[in-house]
Amino acid sequence: MTTAAAPPTRTHLPPQSDARGGSRTRERNWILALVVLVGAEILYFSITVTGFFDGGTGMLALTEQFVDIGMLALGLSVVILAGEIDLSAGTMSSFSGILMAVLWRDGIEIWLAVVVALVASTLVGALNGLIITIFRVDSLLVTLAMQFILGSVATALSGGSPPYGFPSSFVTIAGTGSIGPIPYQLVVFGVFAVAIALLVGRTRTGRSIVLIGFNRPAARWSGIRVDRTIVGAFMISAFMAGLGGILVAGFYNAARDDLGDSLLLPAITIVVLGGVDIFGGKGRMAGVIVATFVLGFLTEGMLVDGQSSLSATMVTGILLIVSLALKITLDRRGGLDVRAALRQRVHRSGRTEDAR
Amino acid sequence: MNVALEVERTRATRRTVRQALGRAIRLREVQLLVAIGVVVAVSTAAQPAFVQPGNISFMLADASATAILSIGQTVVVLARGIDLSVAPILGIAAVLVAFPAQDLNLPIIAGLGIVLAVGLVLGAANGLLVSVARIPPIIATLATLSVYGGLQFIFAKGEEISNIPNAYGNLGNNDIVSGIPWVLLITAVLAIVVAFLLRSTNVGRSIYAVGNDAAAAHRSGIPVQRIVFLTYVVSGVLAGIGGLIYLCHVGSVDSTTGSDSNVNLLSIAATLIGGTALTGGRGGVLGSVLGAVFLSVALTAMVFARIPSIWEPAGVGVLMLLAMLSDRRAGAPARRTRQRTAGSAR
Repeated sequence: MTTAAAPPTRTHLPPQSDARGGSRTRERNWILALVVLVGAEILYFSITVTGFFDGGTGMLALTEQFVDIGMLALGLSVVILAGEIDLSAGTMSSFSGILMAVLWRDGIEIWLAVVVALVASTLVGALNGLIITIFRVDSLLVTLAMQFILGSVATALSGGSPPYGFPSSFVTIAGTGSIGPIPYQLVVFGVFAVAIALLVGRTRTGRSIVLIGFNRPAARWSGIRVDRTIVGAFMISAFMAGLGGILVAGFYNAARDDLGDSLLLPAITIVVLGGVDIFGGKGRMAGVIVATFVLGFLTEGMLVDGQSSLSATMVTGILLIVSLALKITLDRRGGLDVRAALRQRVHRSGRTEDAR
Repeated sequence: MNVALEVERTRATRRTVRQALGRAIRLREVQLLVAIGVVVAVSTAAQPAFVQPGNISFMLADASATAILSIGQTVVVLARGIDLSVAPILGIAAVLVAFPAQDLNLPIIAGLGIVLAVGLVLGAANGLLVSVARIPPIIATLATLSVYGGLQFIFAKGEEISNIPNAYGNLGNNDIVSGIPWVLLITAVLAIVVAFLLRSTNVGRSIYAVGNDAAAAHRSGIPVQRIVFLTYVVSGVLAGIGGLIYLCHVGSVDSTTGSDSNVNLLSIAATLIGGTALTGGRGGVLGSVLGAVFLSVALTAMVFARIPSIWEPAGVGVLMLLAMLSDRRAGAPARRTRQRTAGSAR
């Protein structure tokens, strides 16, 4: 939030130099709060809900229920950091899962089918990005339209009897297998979480994406190929959504044309809960990764406890509202950081005296 | 009379006529009417049954619930917001009327009271989240989409309510004259009233002003946050009315009504096709209603062309893309900047 108080020379810099001082600290504190929240959730459910902790393995196995949503969230955060949005991610998962399954049923080697499905998803993502950048139309609308189109394509692909019963090598790795107590799916999530975190935080492309989201004209003036980077962001999002769809298909050992549709809303919730600014340009992947577990354990804990999935969704919504309202209020006051707030107060009062 | 003057006068008239025609062609409403005409003409040429009164009435009645929702959606979008929670508001309103209608034979007028109250409360909650808590609209209404969806499930108790008194079904399915259903009349009246309010009242013009430039609106003395709040209330109330119309037309309701038929996205699609810009400040409700009718007509035409119904969503998607590409300004990226309303600049 570049208010009038900010020195004009600083407004175009990435979020590290927010006018209020320490937006970085603020982000770190937000992530810290999320970590505490996960800890509290695990503690609470372990004590109150029998079968949640289950010697640690039960809890780890629960992650299989939500890492697919986390995959979507990882990809979505890249697009959202760039100041765009991808509403087609959910049906993209359905599309990718069903495409993989149908190819496999038609006699193609399963891993090759996986690769083809991922490539196809990525290409659709590129199409999203190209329409948005070439015709300069809103990503919300383009991806909304793409959501409708992909939904139909997935239904048409699946036909009357969707495939099920994949080879066990696939089901082990993409589905329900585990290395010791750690599910393969969690490992896959871990790998991609680290990869995307590094991409966003440590590479030229990643920083360009964030800068584009923070201040697009500045990004353009500093020589970043804005359009190309945005297309890339949509390709990443589509790829991750496709991978998420394949994990869901592996988990259920079956593909359905609508299995990814319900992943979109929780994924967006995770991104926002993770502290990524919905307008782009601010946020860290660590927050999104932790938020995946905040939301995942909350939902699964309630489900294991015997609550209906709709009441779990409801709590998700409330969590989103409360956390955002809190965050926005705190941001206005200068963040969770008490020291920064004090410093600012001192600074401000000093300045007013100068003015007098 | 001077001949030269006469000639000059006719020329001027001709010029004015030509200019007026040019303006009219550029109007999205006119374009949509032409598009609807073309679709109807082509479909009728292929299958004369397309213009039977029964089919026309079906298409128009089917468009009505979406149209009413898109009126509210348009008001929100004009002030540069978005309301993703209209589907469960429609659902909750329908459920809360359906139970007493089934058990107590509740008159429709009382049902109207219920849906207005439901829409008012839920819309106001959205409005508070956006205007007071300052949560970005897309996130606030996404969250209430989950919360209201859960409420709808709780209210419906997991049942399907289908034993609705005949009075409801008559309103929802009967025609005034052959081919023109009653629900279309209701939709038209709502659209005209809202269009008038938008065009000719202070509050209406303020909505456009806020959508165009919230900071400028604030400086010129418009209570920006109050206007924003109001738009969500309007959207909620219209979604509630949409719920009643839906109940009358379809005759049954359950815990996922609204959300399962994607009315959220359809209302946004109709708004967009109707020429309202997501950037706010541009468009109007008449276009949105025509957009909803166009969607309904085009989708029915797909059925007549023997395209399997699974391609219906794709049809909506393609129409949206075409609408965007035909009028780039309508689909232009909403500069997703933080709303720099002076209220928040402190």
